[in-house]
Amino acid sequence: MKTESSQNSREKEIEKLKKYKYGFSTDIENTKAPKGLNEEVIRFISNIKKEPKWLLDWRLKAYQRLKVLKEPNWQKPKYPKINYQDLYYYSAPKSFKEKPKSLDELDPKLLETYKKLGIPLQEQKRLNNIAVDAVFDSVSVATTFKDKLTEKGIIFCSISEAIQKHPELVKKYLGSVIPLTDHFFATLNSAVFTDGSFVYVPPGVRCPMELSTYFRINASDTGQFERTLIIADKGSYVSYLEGCTAPMRDENQLHAANVELIALDDAEIKYSTVQNWYPGDKDGKGGIYNFVTKRGLCKGINSKISWTQVETGSAITWKYPSCILKGDNSIGEFYSIAITNNHQKADTGTKMIHLGKNTKSKIISKGISAGFSDMTYRGLVDISKKADNSRNYTQCDSLLMGNKCGAHTVPYITNKNSGSNLAHEATTSKISEEQLHYCQQRGLNSEEAVGLIVNGFCKEVLQQLPMEFAVEAQKLVGISLEGSVG
Amino acid sequence: MLKINNLKAKVGEKSILNDFSLDIKPGEVHAIMGPNGSGKSTLSNILSGKKGYDVSGEIKFEGIDLFSLETEERAHKGIFLAFQYPLEIPGVNTNIFLKTSLNAIRKARGEKELDALEFLKLVKQKSKELKFDEEKLNRQLNVGFSGGEKKKNEILQMSILNPKLSILDETDSGLDIDALKTVAQGVNALRKKNNSFLIITHYQRLLDYIKPDHVHVLMNGKITKSGGPELALELEKKGYEGLN
Amino acid sequence: MEKQLIRDFEKSFENSNLDSKKINFKKEFLNKFIKEGLPGKNLENWKYSDLSKIIKTEIGDLSFYNNISPPNKIDSSMYLSGFEHNSIVFINGRAEKIDLQFEEKDKVKISEDFELEKTSSNINSLVNLNNAFTEKNFVLTVKENYSFKKPLVIYHYTNKKIKSQNLNLRLNFELEKNTSLKLIDILDDFSEKNFINTFYNFKLNQDAILKNYKVDIKNNSNIKYSFTNIEQDKNSLSETFILSSGSAFNKNEINCNLNGNYSSAFVNGILSLNKKKHHEIRTSVNHLTESTKSYQLIKSVLENNARAVYQGKIFVSSDAQKTDGYQLSKAILLEDTTEFNAKPELEIYADDVKCSHGSASGSLNENSIFYIMSRGLNYKEAKELLINGFLLDVINKITDEEIKNLIKSMIGLKE
Ligand SMILES: Nc1ncnc2c1ncn2[C@@H]1O[C@H](COP(=O)(O)OP(=O)(O)OP(=O)(O)O)[C@@H](O)[C@H]1O
Ligand SMILES: [Mg+2]
Repeated sequence: MKTESSQNSREKEIEKLKKYKYGFSTDIENTKAPKGLNEEVIRFISNIKKEPKWLLDWRLKAYQRLKVLKEPNWQKPKYPKINYQDLYYYSAPKSFKEKPKSLDELDPKLLETYKKLGIPLQEQKRLNNIAVDAVFDSVSVATTFKDKLTEKGIIFCSISEAIQKHPELVKKYLGSVIPLTDHFFATLNSAVFTDGSFVYVPPGVRCPMELSTYFRINASDTGQFERTLIIADKGSYVSYLEGCTAPMRDENQLHAANVELIALDDAEIKYSTVQNWYPGDKDGKGGIYNFVTKRGLCKGINSKISWTQVETGSAITWKYPSCILKGDNSIGEFYSIAITNNHQKADTGTKMIHLGKNTKSKIISKGISAGFSDMTYRGLVDISKKADNSRNYTQCDSLLMGNKCGAHTVPYITNKNSGSNLAHEATTSKISEEQLHYCQQRGLNSEEAVGLIVNGFCKEVLQQLPMEFAVEAQKLVGISLEGSVG
Repeated sequence: MLKINNLKAKVGEKSILNDFSLDIKPGEVHAIMGPNGSGKSTLSNILSGKKGYDVSGEIKFEGIDLFSLETEERAHKGIFLAFQYPLEIPGVNTNIFLKTSLNAIRKARGEKELDALEFLKLVKQKSKELKFDEEKLNRQLNVGFSGGEKKKNEILQMSILNPKLSILDETDSGLDIDALKTVAQGVNALRKKNNSFLIITHYQRLLDYIKPDHVHVLMNGKITKSGGPELALELEKKGYEGLN
Repeated sequence: MEKQLIRDFEKSFENSNLDSKKINFKKEFLNKFIKEGLPGKNLENWKYSDLSKIIKTEIGDLSFYNNISPPNKIDSSMYLSGFEHNSIVFINGRAEKIDLQFEEKDKVKISEDFELEKTSSNINSLVNLNNAFTEKNFVLTVKENYSFKKPLVIYHYTNKKIKSQNLNLRLNFELEKNTSLKLIDILDDFSEKNFINTFYNFKLNQDAILKNYKVDIKNNSNIKYSFTNIEQDKNSLSETFILSSGSAFNKNEINCNLNGNYSSAFVNGILSLNKKKHHEIRTSVNHLTESTKSYQLIKSVLENNARAVYQGKIFVSSDAQKTDGYQLSKAILLEDTTEFNAKPELEIYADDVKCSHGSASGSLNENSIFYIMSRGLNYKEAKELLINGFLLDVINKITDEEIKNLIKSMIGLKE
């Protein structure tokens, strides 16, 4: 039995936490493209970014393709029809017409925003050993630690800048993993993407620090379509982090990013995401539609791509970070924690396509659903005929809190190679009364106990995150579930 | 009976055995001791024909080049390996397995195959001698057996198959004292004129019951020291480090 | 296909004694089928088995008029020997002989119930096709507190005299309170390249026990689909065993609704395939109330261009607390020309449940082969022994000893 005072303090605590911590918006004047999706808008975006002709043509080609594509409907969460003509496809702070040369030129309001988000951009307060590229609405506002990276020959900048300064790299790799024609949202992104990050690590270089992008949607009625392209050349290594937030708004906002990773011979890319977009209020009003396409190509032999994600935000999440294991001996990994509460819906998982010999993949997925939410793990493992001696191991665990929510596990497994082995395990469980009782007997309140047990449930995935992120993610896991235990 | 000359074994780039030589005469018992990872199981795997090693050198068994024989042909010729980690084989009944195996070997040797009744009689007798719970033979092979039961099952198989050269890879590890004695009893019963043994162990105590003719120390892929039973006692006291 | 369907439908019922109301009702099913057509891989359920394409390439255009009026001869070699049983013999879809000699006459009733069709109006297009063309709607009822003394074997024979390329068969079973029935389906084909569509509907009342063993081992070039629906009341038990091996294509679909507390369902299956065969087992076990239990074990052994598919779903509604659901599928691929697809699915809306699934596929374990060979068996023998053991595991799940031994001897499995 709970005492009255602990009950009260808990409720207060919950009340406080029910408020999305990052739900403020910044009052900044914006330059916007006119509402709507048409050739004019695409030309406007391309023009304002002073893009070369090939890129404009590429965008237009995507737009032509988009006209015949249909929005996918196989995912479990359905959403009200999006009126693509009623969105802004480009929004940038006015002070940004010319990108500021240094942080001193940045609009102080923006700096303030990032400070509130806990992302200090100013030199003196820089995060320890993490280089940050901050994306505000549609444009990259600042990249830190640039000099130190340049020394090693590493290119880390906004994709707009890369298009200007390294067009040969962009032209070679853009769309090489996610083709123009892939599917509706990916193609939409190709037509209208505004900014994002670009990373190139030259042969043999181990990137000395974590690279990070922080995405923030601020303007209303604005879709965010960023594009990230990471290339790890032969024998190189890079670890990349992505974080995101958005203000609270009643309407749903669309976020459709494309991320492409390419690992050449002996290269390794580690890509971590902590996704905390605004999930909507407790009745399911508002929140971000997070329809993201992330795909990595292990192009070279002995290459490795590892995805780690902690997905706690957004009203609806659809994302399947994937690995195409083309090079012999290449490795793909996917570690995921997805948490849904209130009326959130998530349909997430991965694809591991084994093409090369001796390729290995590992999938660890932990899904937690609470409140009225719905969580789906959807994954595909395909071992092709030529992928001799390949291995896959998949483990998907779901935890349900209450019987108003759902957990759905949908793995698609194909094996065409007699020398390859594939193992899949999945469980569904709940936090047992015994576990709770044990923790409470040792003095924890029920929220703390649940936090502890859930963090234990997620441990295998949390361990994959870089230190700086792991702590934040652990807190996030706790916060996302507040109010869901009775 | 078994003559190994300059055996080298590698897995990928890793060299495990190096210039390993050993000569076992009919009727002899050799014990090999050596630290973890020194290559003892590798040696027994190679002798019984496991694939996946890069090998060079020469192994002769009763004058025949062992490398020219498949795993099962070696078994037919009388080589038996009691595995360090006997495998669990779900769905395969232990009795049936034993009978199939015995008859395959008998057939290859040109002996008459045993019918169900004769086989049952043999198994009954051997299980009794080795105090092996017959009930377990109706279970799936090694599935749900305890560590010690698996080892005892290996010895039962050995005494039924009646091999010429038995290789015991740490069969004594994980056995209680009574079981240890039964294992020794099984070995000693077979230890007739022409049967030889290669006993891999970490502990002197098994050698109290099975007196070896020779004791070898295997380190870094080769035999670094050989001697009589007293070498095992010395090892027990000083450890491998203390050996000069 | 549409014209052919309408023509054959009219031909089928022009001389029947069904009244026009019933024929119109059947026509609705026909129209539904015409609208949907044969299922293809655009449907999630048929993702791995593109039936419409398979029928097109293997058979071509279907015809549907199956004149079943002339009787066929039955000879004693058709029966399983050395084992006492009741039997129903279907030849080319016509019920040729019903023999329940071991049972008490007043405890078992065989009737026709047209109304039952209504209950199956929204299942899928093949059930619609079935309802459109099946003339008789047999219901076998086991009366309260009666247990069948001997198994009932249903022989599904086809021979070259078959009139159409499509054959539909529907049977209903009602097990009243506290009854039990053991049912064996033997598929035995002498016809070639027909599409055989079977629909079984079971209703298990309180405490009823159903054991259904489906055996398809005779090599044949037919394409088969079988849909089995099982409704289970309180404390009832169903055991379904599928041995899928003989036909060129066979998809067995089991839908099981656990409607009553303490009801339980077991589905076990073997897909043993070679020579380009393509078989699928798809299950959906729906836990709809508290304290129900399900267990599924499916194993496949594949060689020579064969393809096996297992789609298994456990659904747990929010009312179904204390559900215990388990599902395991394993496959051995003996050659690179083979393919195994699995979609083991969990959909769960209650929190106090224990549900899990596992799926593994790949080669035989090399270490096990080495162990066996070191005991004197050659590679081929070692392989056979392991496969034998692999499959025995499923056979041993058969709870009826006599039938277990029967099936073992049918496929030559040794213990
Ligand atoms: N297939 C293999 N691949 C890589 N390394 C191997 C392989 N087999 C053996 N080794 C390595 O070779 C060395 C010798 O292994 P082995 O099993 O023969 O040791 P051992 O002497 O039997 O040890 P223990 O006393 O622990 O049983 C070890 O370092 C082991 O890790
Ligand atoms: Mg060893």
